[in-house]
Amino acid sequence: MRLPRNWRFLALYVALTIASLLWLVPLATPMAVSLLPLDQSTKGWWRADWSTVTLDAYARAWNGGLNAYLGNSLVITITSVAITVVLGSLAAYAFARMKFAFKTLLFGLLITTMIVPVQIILIPLVPWFQTLGLNEGAAQYFGIALVHTAFGSGWSLFMLMAFFSGIPEEILEAARLDGAGEFTAFSRIALPLALPGIVSFIILDFVFVWNDLLMGLTLLDSDHRPVTVGLANLNAPQLNQDDLISAGSMIAILPPLILFALLNRYYVRGLFAGSVKG
Amino acid sequence: MTARTTRSAAHDRRATKSYRLRRAATPYLFVGPILVVFAMFYLWPTLLTVGSSFFTWGILNPWQTQSPAEWDFVGLGNYGETLADPTFWNAALNSAIWLVVFPALVLALSFPLAILIWSAPRGGGLFRTVFILPMTISLAAAGVVWSLFYNPDPNKGVLNAVLSWFGLEDLSFTLGPLEFHAGRWLSDPGVLHLGFADIRFVNLFIIVAAVWTFVGFGVITFSAGLTSVDAELLDSAKVDGATQLQLVRHVIAPSLRPSVIVVAVISIIFALRTFDIVYVTTGGGPSTDSEVLGMLIWDQVFQFLDSPQGGLAAAVAVVMSALMVVVSLPYIRATLRGRS
Repeated sequence: MRLPRNWRFLALYVALTIASLLWLVPLATPMAVSLLPLDQSTKGWWRADWSTVTLDAYARAWNGGLNAYLGNSLVITITSVAITVVLGSLAAYAFARMKFAFKTLLFGLLITTMIVPVQIILIPLVPWFQTLGLNEGAAQYFGIALVHTAFGSGWSLFMLMAFFSGIPEEILEAARLDGAGEFTAFSRIALPLALPGIVSFIILDFVFVWNDLLMGLTLLDSDHRPVTVGLANLNAPQLNQDDLISAGSMIAILPPLILFALLNRYYVRGLFAGSVKG
Repeated sequence: MTARTTRSAAHDRRATKSYRLRRAATPYLFVGPILVVFAMFYLWPTLLTVGSSFFTWGILNPWQTQSPAEWDFVGLGNYGETLADPTFWNAALNSAIWLVVFPALVLALSFPLAILIWSAPRGGGLFRTVFILPMTISLAAAGVVWSLFYNPDPNKGVLNAVLSWFGLEDLSFTLGPLEFHAGRWLSDPGVLHLGFADIRFVNLFIIVAAVWTFVGFGVITFSAGLTSVDAELLDSAKVDGATQLQLVRHVIAPSLRPSVIVVAVISIIFALRTFDIVYVTTGGGPSTDSEVLGMLIWDQVFQFLDSPQGGLAAAVAVVMSALMVVVSLPYIRATLRGRS
C-alpha cells in the first residue's frame, strides 16, 4: 500500500509545518505578552487589541536592572569563552597530535568535566574563592570565567580534537622541516585549518556560559550576577508582572539567538562534529 | 631514499640533549595551561567535596583543610544518614523520573523529526532551524516561557485556553491508583500511587519544558547520522518494493545506532544534572514534589545557612557524580575512539 509520490510529499510537509508551529507556540506567549499592556494580555493575548502594542515593558525591564545583568552576562561570557577557546585549542592540539606520558589518564580526567554535575565543585568553591581573593569586585568575573574554563575543558577537547586530527600530517611535517617550532606549526598552520571547528565551539560555549544559572547564583554577589539570575528573581507569579518577565526573557534570549542566526551554519557543523558519523 | 637519509642525518645532528628535552617538554607546554585551571578549579574543589563528605559542617562554618583542630569527623556517617533520609529518596525518585522520561521523550521526538526532515527534498534546513532554535534559550528563560504556557488562568495560559475551548479545563478524575487534575500543571496535576512510591506528574510537565530545549540536539545528531545511510542499499530496497516503515526499520535505524547512544547518554547526563529549570518553574515545590538531587544538594547547603548539612550535601554530590561517571564514561570514550 503506497500513496502516490505527490501525496506523500504533501503529507510530509503538512506534518513538518504543524510540528514547527507547535514548536513555536510556547515562544509566542512571552513575545505577545511582552508587547501588550497588562490589561490586554490578562484577558488572553490571542484576543488582544493589537493597536495597543507598546515597548513599555521592555523599557521598564531594561531600566529596572536588566541592563546591568545583561552587562554582567556579556563580560562573564566573553571572558570565559576567550580563556576556554585559547587554552582548549592548545590542549586539543597536543591531545590530537602528540605523544606524552600520562596522556590517557589526563584525558580521562578532563573528559569527566563533561559528565559530573557542577554541584560536585560548587560548595568548596565559595571558601576557595575567598582564599584566592576572587570573591570581591571585578575579580569575581575572572574567577567564574576560570571555573567555566575548567568545566568546559572536556567539551573543548571532545569537539576540537576531531578538527585537529583531521589535518594531514604531511602539512605539519613540511612546516617542521622548514624549521618551524611546534608552536609555530600550531599557530600558523593548524589553527587556521581548524578555524571552522573553533568558531562552532565558540558559539556552543557562548550558549553554555550565557545560560548558566547555578554558578552565577552561588559564586557571585548581587552586583555581578548574570541575566539568568535576574530572570529567576523576576519570575514571581504573585507579583503580577507578566509583561516585565516576558520582556526580560525576550531580552535574555536575544544575544545567543542573534549569534545563532548569524553563524547558524557553524553552529550546526559544530554539533555535527560533536556527534557521531556512522 | 636519499631524501630520507639526509632528513634523519639532520635530525641526528639536532638531537642534542637540550633539543630532546625541549621536544619532550613541548606537549606539556600545550596542555599545561588548561591543566593548571583544571587542577585549581575542578580537581581541587572535587577533592575538597570528597574530603568534606566525611565530616559534619555547615556553610557558615565550612570544613577547612588548614584547621584540623575544628574537624568533626563522622566517617561514612553522612553517607549512612543520606541513604536513610526520606528527603534523599524523594529527590532520588524525582531524578529517576527525569532519568527515564527525559531521554525517552527526547529520542521519541527527535528521531522521527530528523527522519521527516531528511526525507524532505527541499527546505529541510529551515525546519531543522526551527527545532534547534530552543537550544540557544537558557533553561532559566525556558522556565519562564513554559510557566506562562502552563499558567492556570485560562485567559493567560495557552494550554488551559485550548482545554477550556473543548470544555476540559476542569477535567479531574481518579482511576484506580491514578489521580489527575487538569489546570494546575505546575502545582498539583496529579499523582500515580505505586504503593512503594508516588509518581508526581508535576515532574512530567517540567520535563516536557526541558525536552523542548533539548530535542534540537537529537535532531542534529540524527541528521549527522543520516548522512551515513547507505544510499545504494536504500535505493535497492525501494526498488524491491519496501514500505516506508520497512525502510526505516531495516535500513535507516541500524546506521543510526551510534547516534541513538550519543543522544541517550548526553540526555541522561543532562537529566541527572537538572537544576535550573526546576529552580525557575517550581523551586522544587509544591512542598518537595518536584525536588531533584541537584537541587537537594544546593538546598542543603545554601538554603538553610545555619544548618550543619554541608557534609550531607557533599555526600549526595559524591554519590551522584560517581554514578554518572560510571554510567557514561565508557560510552563517551567509545564515541571518541570510534571517531578517530
